[in-house]
Amino acid sequence: MLRVPKFLLKGLHRLQKGPGYTYKELLVWYCNNTNTHGPKRIICEGPKKKAMWFVITLLFAGLVCWQWAVFIQTYLSWEVSVSLSMGFRTMDFPAVTICNSSPFQYSKVKHLLKDLDELMEALLDRILAPEISHTNTTRTLNLTIWNHTPLVLIDERDPHHPVVLDLFQCSHNDSSPAPGSACTAQECKVAMRLCSFNGTLCTFRNFTSATQAVTEWYILQATNIFSQVRRQELVELGYPGERMILACLFGTEPCSYRNFTSIFYPDYGNCYIFNWGMMEKALPSANPGAEFGLKLILDIGQEDYVPFLASTAGARLMLHEQKTYPFIREEGIYAMAGTETSIGVMVDRLQRKGEPYSPCTMNGSDVAIQNLYNNFTTTYSIQACLHSCFQDHMIRNCSCGHYLYPLPPGKKYCNNQDFPDWAHCYLKLQVSVAQRETCISMCKESCNDTQYKMTLSMADWPSEASEDWIFHVLSQERDQSTNITLSRKGIVKLNIYFQEFNYRTIEESPANNIVWLLSNLGGQFGFWMGGSVLCLIEFGEIIIDFVWITIIKMVAFCKSLRRRRAQAPYTGPPPTVAELVEAHTNFGFQPDTANHSAHTEAYSDQQTLPIPGTPPPNYDSLRLQPLDTIESDSEGEAI
Amino acid sequence: MAPGEKIKAKIRKNLPVRGPQAPTIKDLMQWYCLNTNTHGCRRIVVSRGRLRRLLWILFTLTAVALILWQCALLVISFYTVSVSIKVHFRKLDFPAVTICNMNPYKRSAVGYLLADLDKETNSALESLYGFSEAKPRERRETRSRSSAWEGTTPRFLNLIPLLVFNKDEKGKARDFFTGRKRKISGNIIHKASNVMHVQDSKKLVGFQLCSNDTSDCATYTFSSGLNAIQEWYKLHYMNIMAQVPLEKKVNMSYSAEELLVTCFFDGVSCDARNFTLFHHPMYGNCYTFNNQENATTLSTSMGGSEYGLQVILYINENEYNPYLVSSTGAKVLIHQQDEYPFIEDVGTEIETAMSTSIGMHLTESFRLSEPYSQCTEDGSDVPVTNIYNAAYSLQICLYSCFQTKMVETCGCAQYSQPLPPAANYCNYQQHPNWMYCYYQLYQAFVQEKLGCQSVCRETCSFKEWTLTTSLAQWPSEVSEKWLLNVLTWDQGQQINTKLNKTDLAKLLIFYKDLNQRSIVESPANSIEMLLSNFGGQLGLWMSCSVVCVIEIIEVFFIDSLSIIARHQWQKAKEWWARRQAPSSPEVHPRQRGQDNPALDIDDDLPTFTSAMRLPPGPGAQVPGTPPPRYNTLRLERAFSTQLTDTQLPSEP
Repeated sequence: MLRVPKFLLKGLHRLQKGPGYTYKELLVWYCNNTNTHGPKRIICEGPKKKAMWFVITLLFAGLVCWQWAVFIQTYLSWEVSVSLSMGFRTMDFPAVTICNSSPFQYSKVKHLLKDLDELMEALLDRILAPEISHTNTTRTLNLTIWNHTPLVLIDERDPHHPVVLDLFQCSHNDSSPAPGSACTAQECKVAMRLCSFNGTLCTFRNFTSATQAVTEWYILQATNIFSQVRRQELVELGYPGERMILACLFGTEPCSYRNFTSIFYPDYGNCYIFNWGMMEKALPSANPGAEFGLKLILDIGQEDYVPFLASTAGARLMLHEQKTYPFIREEGIYAMAGTETSIGVMVDRLQRKGEPYSPCTMNGSDVAIQNLYNNFTTTYSIQACLHSCFQDHMIRNCSCGHYLYPLPPGKKYCNNQDFPDWAHCYLKLQVSVAQRETCISMCKESCNDTQYKMTLSMADWPSEASEDWIFHVLSQERDQSTNITLSRKGIVKLNIYFQEFNYRTIEESPANNIVWLLSNLGGQFGFWMGGSVLCLIEFGEIIIDFVWITIIKMVAFCKSLRRRRAQAPYTGPPPTVAELVEAHTNFGFQPDTANHSAHTEAYSDQQTLPIPGTPPPNYDSLRLQPLDTIESDSEGEAI
Repeated sequence: MAPGEKIKAKIRKNLPVRGPQAPTIKDLMQWYCLNTNTHGCRRIVVSRGRLRRLLWILFTLTAVALILWQCALLVISFYTVSVSIKVHFRKLDFPAVTICNMNPYKRSAVGYLLADLDKETNSALESLYGFSEAKPRERRETRSRSSAWEGTTPRFLNLIPLLVFNKDEKGKARDFFTGRKRKISGNIIHKASNVMHVQDSKKLVGFQLCSNDTSDCATYTFSSGLNAIQEWYKLHYMNIMAQVPLEKKVNMSYSAEELLVTCFFDGVSCDARNFTLFHHPMYGNCYTFNNQENATTLSTSMGGSEYGLQVILYINENEYNPYLVSSTGAKVLIHQQDEYPFIEDVGTEIETAMSTSIGMHLTESFRLSEPYSQCTEDGSDVPVTNIYNAAYSLQICLYSCFQTKMVETCGCAQYSQPLPPAANYCNYQQHPNWMYCYYQLYQAFVQEKLGCQSVCRETCSFKEWTLTTSLAQWPSEVSEKWLLNVLTWDQGQQINTKLNKTDLAKLLIFYKDLNQRSIVESPANSIEMLLSNFGGQLGLWMSCSVVCVIEIIEVFFIDSLSIIARHQWQKAKEWWARRQAPSSPEVHPRQRGQDNPALDIDDDLPTFTSAMRLPPGPGAQVPGTPPPRYNTLRLERAFSTQLTDTQLPSEP
């Protein structure tokens, strides 16, 4: 504590007495004693070389600054380098989700779809054979569904006046020519009429083929019907696990449908997930090859498909990570009935660093969209985000949620009774580019991206020779019947196993870390000037000294101003420039207290002049060698 | 003090010996070592003892060698790349999709051109294998073989006879048509027999290709008659089709309306107008989706099958050519918009009565071109003219190279590739022996004798779509009835019969997700990095910098040279003086050179030369060069004496 007042006192003393040495002295001293290589040369060479070295030193200092800027910029761009590793190791077997292409069993769902199917059949008849009168059949139909979103035929034979004909209503009106009687697919287009605001604002959704038109129309109507049924009932209507999964073998362990977690996926009804890892630990697989993978035999029950809803027959299949929701409609593949499908799996994993290196999210907590798939306690994925985002838009624009996506609490699914405009609204939203782009910009991809690369191969199964006994055994097991209840059209065999190389991991690591930055900064400084951090400290010290000198001079100047005002102005001859230069350049110059008259005039105050300035500290330890004589110093300058 | 000494002292006093003006190289070295900023040199000079000095010399030299070695390594490894993999989730451009029917031309339309060829093939099959019916299912009009033979002599079999080789009779073959045995001269080329050991079968089928004068013949044999006949048929087929103008060929092939029953993209209907025609010589009319000029490229902003392209294709098996194509279906190729679809090389085949879903993942690769790798940006620096109307690719280069060579050697162009300027497709009328030429050239091309493979380079950047293809039954049993009816109505304009399940194929092409992986190469080193690595090496081993390098150049080159030059100049001057004044031979020349009689000792500052020419003191030894005192290099003593007044007063 004593030191501080001492230090302050010293400073005060200095302030009173003046700096004691000049800028030039300080600079020369610095150049001479610094460890950087350039400045020393400036001092010790002849005038020509001095200029050259001055330029070179400045140039190099500039270069160093520039290169440092480049390096710091590179560092702040947060680049990453990747390392790739691949091979085989014991890994958790992927979660396998299996669905049927048809969401429901037609025999169970018939009572719900009765009206719609009759309508659809009549509609097909009208399109295909418009000549035959269908008035009788039309009467019996439930036209409330039809009137909500009817299909129309747009007759474009006269391109300027396209005639719009409702496929059913025209038939009541016998006066008009039968619609599309001579109309072919090339001339007449089927379109869907979508109305909102009680049928006042209508738009047409055009189709180039009748197949698409009727399919889309049917799906829309079916969605309306199913959205009014409670989820528990829908689960009952789908394919039960014990009927679908006939045999299961994981490695050497037998498994059954009980090992599968059931979830309801609106597109495909009941889906079954093997090894989801929600309740118990995920199963690992330690060996490559089909013998050690998952073997499944499924029955898709093709004869019980909903005819207008499922035109493609097969099992839907997806491999995904544990605890992620299977977006099987987007990322699933088909497995064909009557074949054995072998799937070799390689896990392709990408692990990223996250902010600020790459724009991704670790767990989705920083995404502004509420994840509706949280109910399933699954982890964040960008698909979940996009679907949640769509549902969010749907609820905001149409005030009801779409059947395919989960509902936020307190909202209802869309149906024709409660939300008459929903179809119009939904289809508009579905094709809206703005909606998609908003969602894409709002959702962030997750940092860990796992893809399962599959190598698919197929063969006929069962073979003709083995067909009989295989079907017999499987029928017996499932239905306890001696008759064969299975057929080639419904049976699917799946082998899912790890390939010989089962992982490929791409991992990001920062390309430029702080060590890299420092070593490059040091390298640059060393390369051009032979400097180090200590040299920077030296430089800083000199700057402080400069500031100090300036402060002292300012104080002295102010003092002198005050005194000059009080006293008569100074009358003596001003010091010549030559004298000043001599005072600063002559190294032999010793501020002699005895005869200082010429030199001390450099300092403004004559009255207080007997006090010589403070020289810079005498850093003896920095000297390379002791000097022989003071005499030789002065000789050096004399040349 | 002797006067010499005195003068010397005076000179020393007045003439500071700076480095560059050092009298000898040794002095210069010593001066350098003492004053340089590098660390090793100084030790050499200041070390006491011979061993220690030697060690320091050794260390210094090792350090120098290490620096040179490391810097050389840095320079050599300068052109290396680092690879980074980035993932973007964004709206992706949908690729161009080219769809072809496997059969190039409708048999009903092209039949009159190929009737003779078919007839002859048929008869060849009959006589070789005893097969008599090769007609497509519905065209089973009985046609007696004998009636086909009578009347005209077979054109095609005469031109290139199909031959049967019997293993027992070497060098003899039976022309199956005439039944005559022929002596086979020239080389017999077994197809692929170099690579695989062909099982010795009794009968080999092949054909003979001869050049114009028929003396130089090459015979091609195949292990199976199937390959032989297909190859033989294809040769003739190409020859016939090469003479048909393009418009006619386009008309003979399938129209877009016919091929595409329905089309759906990104939730919106599309139709034949969204497809552009692309005529492929071997596949007839192909249609490319999303490759329209003056239209913007379509993009998808949603993953999943319903947001991709969904088409139902009409594959009319009845119109298939039985000899040319033996499989049914369509071929589909996913490629970039400006890329040429090499459908025969890299297509995916689509089965009928199936729904084929193709999920895509987009991977982009960017490589660095010269000097990092051999790839080319746009092919402009490859000495092969691109005969395709598409962006450069390795395949285009190879085919262009082959076609150019073909035109040079055979005088005509091969049918399955585009025409180079001012060339015609090969046909018998104008180029009777083109086939022989083509086969020879093709053999050379495959064996890399034409140099095409070494000239052509791969492109630096490319987009790759990784496909996951899965199949499912379509239409499903229960939906088959209504679906086929509606599809028949949709296709009503084109056909009159009811569609069959096996005439249709469903195709779905979509992005599985919108993740786009980019593999980007970037230079691992930049100039800054190289310099800072140099700096690190220099600093680590010797605490050296560019300033030191400049010093070294200054000292070792400029100053040393100037010293040597000065010595030489002096010697020359001596020699000249000796020649001019040979009158005083008694004076030792060396002494004379050093003796300067003109030197008068005054108080003027002596020049360096005058100082050097001082006569040595009579008895005194010539003193060794004192350690130079380069004052300027010393730390100045400008502030040597700390002034007492700044010190803290001892008592306040």
